[in-house]
Order: sequence, then C-alpha cells, then structure tokens
Amino acid sequence: MPRFLRFLCILAALAIIGVGLFTSEELSDARWLGLLAIAWILLLFGTRMPIGPDVPTFNRAVLRTAMTLASMFAIISAQLVRIQVVQSDATYNKTAKDPTGETISNPRKTSAELSAPRGKIYDRNGTLVADTVKDGNAYLRDYPNPVTGYVAGYFSPLLYGSSGLESSRNDALSGKESIDPVERTINALLGRQQQGLDLHLTLDTNLQQTATDLLQGRKGAVVVLEVATGAVLVLASTPNYDPDRLVTSPSGDSSAAESYWAELSDDPDAPFVLRANLGLYTPGSTFKTITAAAAIDSGLDTPTSVYTDNGELEIDGRTLVENNRPDETRSEWTLEEGIEWSLNVVFAQVGMHVGADRLWDYAKRFGFGEEIPFDLPVSESQLASDRDFLGSNNALADTAFGQGEIQVSPLHMAMIAATFANGGKMMRPYLVASEQDGDGNVRNRASAEVWKTPISSATAESVRSMMVSAVNEGSIQAAITPGYTVGGKTGTAERGDGSVHSWLMAFIGDDTPRYAAAVVLEEGSDSLGTSVAVCQAILEATITSLG
Amino acid sequence: MHLRYRPTFRGTELSLLLYPALLIILGLIMIVVVPRGQVDWSWNDIWVGIAYATAVIVASIFLSARGFRGDQVVLPLTALLAALGLLMIQRLTPDLAAAEPGYGSLAQKHLIFLAAGLLLAWSIAMLAGPMNMIEWLPRYKYLWLLLSMALQLATFVIGVDVGGAKLWISVGPIQIQPSEIVKITLVIFMAAYLDQNRDLIGTTWKVGPLSLPPIPYLLPMVLMWSACLLSLVALNDLGSALLFFGVFLVMLYVASGRVVYVAVGLISFAIACYVAWLAFSRIGIRVQNWLDPWKDPYNTGYQQVQSDYAISSGGLLGSGFGLGSPTFIPQVQTDFIFSAFAEELGLLGTLAILVVIFLLAMRGFMIALRVRDGFAQLLATGLTTIIAIQTIIIVGGVTRLIPLTGVTLPFVSYGGSSLLCNFVIVGLLLYVSSLPKRV
Repeated sequence: MPRFLRFLCILAALAIIGVGLFTSEELSDARWLGLLAIAWILLLFGTRMPIGPDVPTFNRAVLRTAMTLASMFAIISAQLVRIQVVQSDATYNKTAKDPTGETISNPRKTSAELSAPRGKIYDRNGTLVADTVKDGNAYLRDYPNPVTGYVAGYFSPLLYGSSGLESSRNDALSGKESIDPVERTINALLGRQQQGLDLHLTLDTNLQQTATDLLQGRKGAVVVLEVATGAVLVLASTPNYDPDRLVTSPSGDSSAAESYWAELSDDPDAPFVLRANLGLYTPGSTFKTITAAAAIDSGLDTPTSVYTDNGELEIDGRTLVENNRPDETRSEWTLEEGIEWSLNVVFAQVGMHVGADRLWDYAKRFGFGEEIPFDLPVSESQLASDRDFLGSNNALADTAFGQGEIQVSPLHMAMIAATFANGGKMMRPYLVASEQDGDGNVRNRASAEVWKTPISSATAESVRSMMVSAVNEGSIQAAITPGYTVGGKTGTAERGDGSVHSWLMAFIGDDTPRYAAAVVLEEGSDSLGTSVAVCQAILEATITSLG
Repeated sequence: MHLRYRPTFRGTELSLLLYPALLIILGLIMIVVVPRGQVDWSWNDIWVGIAYATAVIVASIFLSARGFRGDQVVLPLTALLAALGLLMIQRLTPDLAAAEPGYGSLAQKHLIFLAAGLLLAWSIAMLAGPMNMIEWLPRYKYLWLLLSMALQLATFVIGVDVGGAKLWISVGPIQIQPSEIVKITLVIFMAAYLDQNRDLIGTTWKVGPLSLPPIPYLLPMVLMWSACLLSLVALNDLGSALLFFGVFLVMLYVASGRVVYVAVGLISFAIACYVAWLAFSRIGIRVQNWLDPWKDPYNTGYQQVQSDYAISSGGLLGSGFGLGSPTFIPQVQTDFIFSAFAEELGLLGTLAILVVIFLLAMRGFMIALRVRDGFAQLLATGLTTIIAIQTIIIVGGVTRLIPLTGVTLPFVSYGGSSLLCNFVIVGLLLYVSSLPKRV
C-alpha cells in the first residue's frame, strides 16, 4: 500500500476513535464497538508496511503478526480510555433495574457515603438538627429533634438515598466541594477521610417547635421569614416524617425502617410532600394584595379610589354575591376598605379595571410561574394554568380576588407578605446561613440578596398600610399584638368539594416590619380563626424571642 | 578438563530487575500502611517482598554465574508482571479472607507458586542446553500430542466442576488445570510438525485443474487441533478454545506465510460462533453480558456489572493501592484481576501493564526471528503468541471489548497451574534465546 494511503488510514482510525470518545455520551456500547472495529481494520491497513522481497517468509509473517497484535493492544487502550476516563462518571453513577424490579447501584457510593464523617447540621442557635455518630466502621446520621429533622431531609444511603438538604447540599456535607483542590488531592492520595462541612441554618428550633405545637397536628404549614434578609426562621409542615427512623446501619436490621418507609409511602396524606415548600394552595383573598398592588403601582388606583359594592355584581350573566360588607347599607367603598373587609365585589371590579395583561405581568413580577431559588425544592406557583384562562371577565374577576386557577406555595406567600413589608423588594429566601469546616472556619456564607423588585416602594408602603388597617380596623383584629404593629391579609380558598383552606399572611414589627409569616390550614370549618391565631402567635413568639 | 560454564555478567538484566524489586518492596509497604492510616510498618510486613526481590536477583546472578548467554530483557519484564500480581494478591487477601476464611492463605500460596515458577523457568533455561532439548523436543512430537489428548480426555472423565466449567483434575491434594499444560505441549507438537513439513505446507496441491493447499499434510494436524478445540468447547472452556485457535492460526501463518489460511480459519470461526450462538443458550447469555450486562445485573450480569463499577471508579490515576474496593467483584483474583488494577492504579496503571506485556511479546518475537533452528523459531513464536493472545482475550473480555471468556492474565492472575506454565514458557523462551543465532 502506498505510504500516503497508509497515513490516511491511520489518520482516519485516530479520527474515528477521537470522535467516538468525544461523543461518547450519546454512544451505546454496541455502536462504540462498531466504531472500534472499523478503526481496527483501518489500523491494520495503515500499519501494513511494505516488506522487501528478500526478507524470508518467516520473518515477514512474524512481523505482520506482531503488527496485528500491536493494533489489538492499541484498540484495547482506546477502550480503556473510554471506560476508565471518558465514561467513568456515567458508569460509576449508573443504576439499573433487574427483571424483578430491584435496583443495582455502585456499592462504592454507599460505602463512601458511610465511611466518612458527614458534616453536621445546626440551627441558628447551634442546636443540632442532624448529627453524625460512629457505628462500628460506619458513620450514621442521627436527627435528635423530630420538629427539625424533616427540614434536613433523610439520609439513608443503604436503602432510600437522600432528600431535603441532605440531598441538595450533599457536596458540602460529604466534603466533596470542601476545601481547596490541592488539599483535596492530597487527601485523596493519602486516603484520608474527607471531613464534610457543617451547615448552619437560619432555622430556629424553638420557634419551629412552637409552630409545630400551634399546628396541633392539623394539616398545613407555617413559614416565618426575616423581612430584611429573606432568612427562613420557621418551615413547619404537617404531616411530616421522622428521618431518624429511616436511618439504618450496615450491620443492623433494617426491617423497622422498611416498614416505616412503606407506611409513609402508602399514607394518602403524603407526608413526604412537605407542605411549607412543596404544597400548593389556592390563595383566596390573600391575593387581593397583589391585585391592589398592581392597580396602585400602574397608577390606575390609589388606596382611596372608590368602588361600588351594593351586595352583588353581575358579570357576563353571572351574579357575584358579596357577604363581607360590615355595613350592608353602604354601597361606596374605597380600595383600602376593600382590603380591610376583603370585599370580593370590589376586587372583581379592580381586577377588570387592571385587566388581564397587567395582572399577568404583575403576578410574574411577584414570581408566579417561576422557580424560586432556595436551598430546598419549591413548587412553582401559578396565576392560571394558561394565560388564555384570564380571557373571560368572570375568570379575571375570580382571579383578582384569589380564586380561579391560582396556586401558591406557603413559602412564596410568606415572601409576598415580606415584599410589602420590605419596600417592594422580594428577598431570595435562604435556609443555609453558612458552611463551616470542623475548625469553625466559614467556607461559604449566604448573603441577603434581592431576588425581584416587583413594585415601587411607594406602592409597597400603600399595601403595607392597608394590611395594617385590616388588622387594626378591619376583619383581622384577632391578630392585634400589643406593643407591635401587625399587618395581614386572610384568605379562604374554596375548593370544589365545599371544604376550605384558610390562610393568613402577615408581618410584625414596630416602625419597620421585621418578620413575615404565612400560615395555611387545610379543610377546617373554623380554620380561618385558627389560622389567624396561629399566625399571630408565631409572629409574637418570633419577635419576642429574636427581637 | 573441559570448562563447561564460563561466567558472564548479565548487567542489563540485573539493572532492569531493580525495578520490580523496588516496586514490590515499596508496594508492600503501601499495602501495609494504607489500611492503618499511619506510616508504621515492620520488616515482618514486607518479608514477602524482600524474598521475592531476592529470588529474582539471585536467579539472574545464577544465570550469570553459569554463563547463560540468552536474552536479558524477558526475565525483568516477567518479574515486573509477577511482582504486580503478587502485590495485588497480597492486597486482596485480607479483604477476601474477611468474607471467606479459606482465602486467608491465598498470598502465601501465590508466593510459593511464584517461587516454584521462577525455579522452573531458571531450570529450563539452564538445563535445556546441556540436555539438548532442541533435539528431542521435536523428535517426540507425537508424544506431546498424545499427552495433550490424554490430558483433555482426563479432564472429561475425572474433571472437577468449578464454577460451571470442568477445567480441573485432582491429583492428590492438588488441583491441576490441564488446559494450561496442553497449551504448551500442543505448541511444541505444532512447531515440530510444521517445521518438518514446512516446505510442503508452503506449496500447492494440484488436483486436476485445481490448485489447493497441501491438504494431505494439513489434514492430520487440523484434525488433531479440532479434537482439542472441540473438547474445550464441550468443557465450556471457551477462553482456552479461543486461545488455542488463535495460536493455531498464527503458527500456521508464520510457517506457511499464507494469509489465506488465516482468512479461511477466521471465516469458519465466525460461522462456528454463529452456530454456537443459535444452538446454546449459554452463549447467548455471554453475548448479553458483553453488550449489556445491565439487563440482568443481579444474576448473569453481576460479575460484569461489578467489574464495570470498579473500572469506572479508577479514573486516570486510580484510587491508590489498597484504597479501592475491588472485592465487590466475585472471583476478582483470577479472571477479573485487571479490573482491580483499573480501580486502584487507574488508566495509567492498566496501560502500563499492557505495555509491559506488549514489550514481552515483542521480545519473544525478536527471539524467534534471531534463532537459527527452524523448530525453535516456530516454538518461540507460538509461545509468545500464547502470552499476547491470552492477554488480549482476558483484557478485551473484562473491558467488554469482546465477550468474556475466562482465562488468566499471564503472570498476574492468581492460579498455580497458570503461573507455573507461564514460567515454563519463559524458561523455553530464555532457552531459545541462548541457541545459535542466524547470520
């Protein structure tokens, strides 16, 4: 074969292997083997040097044999590059199910996770949320307090993997992201255990306990935020689970954990779905604050704008009945009074006045239809399943006072309350204040960040003062807390089956609001009053203990 | 008095042997130190390494002292591979013994076989000359053939089933894997037969207008080989069958210089594979384990899946000796020892092993090209091909380049028969390298 052609063959073989390695992620093993076979044949041709006619047959044949074997070694080397380097992460983390449905995964992952001391998790006061205890050769998780344990999530590498912060902050807790690369390389070379980083949370165990006590086992959620920073102080959900009961030791019996897991998985109340961040509820009248903010911020209304509400309103043939007027003889109400007494007829008109486009736009500005950046997953809130839903006047009116298809998570609701209390700035919520190594050196600290600025500070001030009036003069006087200024807005979400979810979103402070909260209780008859009581109590407890 | 041995200084060999000697001593210190997590070892922990290093260096010095003038690179390369194998077996023994106490003496056994192998190689290199082996090895070629067939037959009749394949026969307390011996005796037979008929095999056989290969001369040999191959297939020792077949083709090719034999052989092999795939379900399982062991990861694919996990965890540099978990792979010490190296020494380690074996093979071919005697040429080629093809079969198998068929990684895997026979190959190669050269 001419030298040029041989050169081309070798080049083509290298190119095929190169492309195969480069695109290896999309390449099945069988296809890659096909490419290798082609590359091998090209290599065979490419290395077929001309051997002079005077060379004895035996020598010629031995040389050809040696070249053929050499090309095979080259192909094996290419395969090693693929499986040991290019595909190594994918294979290392690969899982598969056998025909009976049992999953296989790399046992090294489990043993690596159990063989190193995992970082601990503390609350804002240094109280342990998740601890690491040594059990023989393994390090096991311990969750000392069931009121905070589920916020950390579960860590069960032998059986169920992980969730919550245990999953989202695994790189820090396992020590993978810790420390500078040089130190990490040295540790790996010396086989030293990788010490995980500790997490220090913004959560307050005492307040979390208070919130749990206040919920008294009712299904629902309590979220408390620090207004100025977005730090999450309380993130309570019921029902929940005790992650301590899912911890199993490699040497011990795991049947208790397995039956607890089965019980949780079969529970129709879905205790794994933590209401505070993963629950979605119709907001009811709490949403009127956003409708009002949209009207004021776009310059259409002021708190003193007057609307007519004489007890009913006909919209495109449907009659909307007003039940909330404190004085049935009056028919002229300001926007502020609409908030104070939660007048649906007023807000139906405000909504139609604002219009579908603006309402959609303002909801978006408040984070509807967007993933909230947080240390835990948060369900995405929505104004409507589709923009076209707001095309009808009735749907627009319903949406404006918080019914329709709106869905909000309790965390998001607390953020909305905080936004009005914080001059229109919506802070990014956070739960992990800092990551620290074993010596207490801070490796990573969260800072207060503005996530969105949906409305001007003037608009925020107007809505804030209307919410304060709703407490002081309106329908939520049960939330009055002596010595502090409280603002709030209730909500009752009517569900198709006639049951209701009840909301209160509120804030507390003196001249400036300091803490914001959202409380939602599912399906109770007296629950609106209870929500107000729970919310007032947790806010008072917060400001009393934290100042 | 006729001075039979004139001492020589094998300086190249001696200096090259320092590498495996250093490797095994440092490696053992690592294996001892790593699990304790502190630099703390005693001479007791590394006596194995010192014993091994001393043995190979003494072997070289004895070769010098007796004036052996053969190749100086084969022994260091072999010693390096064997040192890696010994290190890995030492490293695996405590982990294996933790699960199965019977494995507690694995490393000691390996060391004994290694020492015996070294002695065997040394004896063959030393004594074959005075015994004039080059004369009587080819003369009794049918004896080697008979011995091969007898061993195969014995495996059939009194073979012991270990892990699904009847590969072993028990002689008193020892278990022998006859196919390891047969691979050498058959190569001796074939080298002798081909050498004696070399001129005829290169010619053509005229039948009327047709030009055919000299079938009358090829046929007996082909039949005898087929018998051995078929018996291996029947015993489910597909790795050995593949190895024998590859060596057969290579020897036929180098003796005749005709590619057409190889082509015919490969085509018939492909057809045989296809038929076997249709006929036997266990072949289908092998193919599935090759292309997608993840389909049945707890059953038929378990070993391969665990090997994949081990290989992938190594990355470029590996976890380091003693820091991986290769014992998740069942039978890691034999067929899958390469995966253990992949996990703990990474890509650099596995490539290094391949390079060493490749160099050994190239050296073997060089010996074959230099020697004058026709039988010795074919013998060295065949023996070298065994090492090269065996490596390709097992490494290709564990890396899922080809379907896995169990053979050992030469000089590295655990297994007494395999180690001893590979050292016999080394001894024969050394002997051939000491024979008169071509001009």
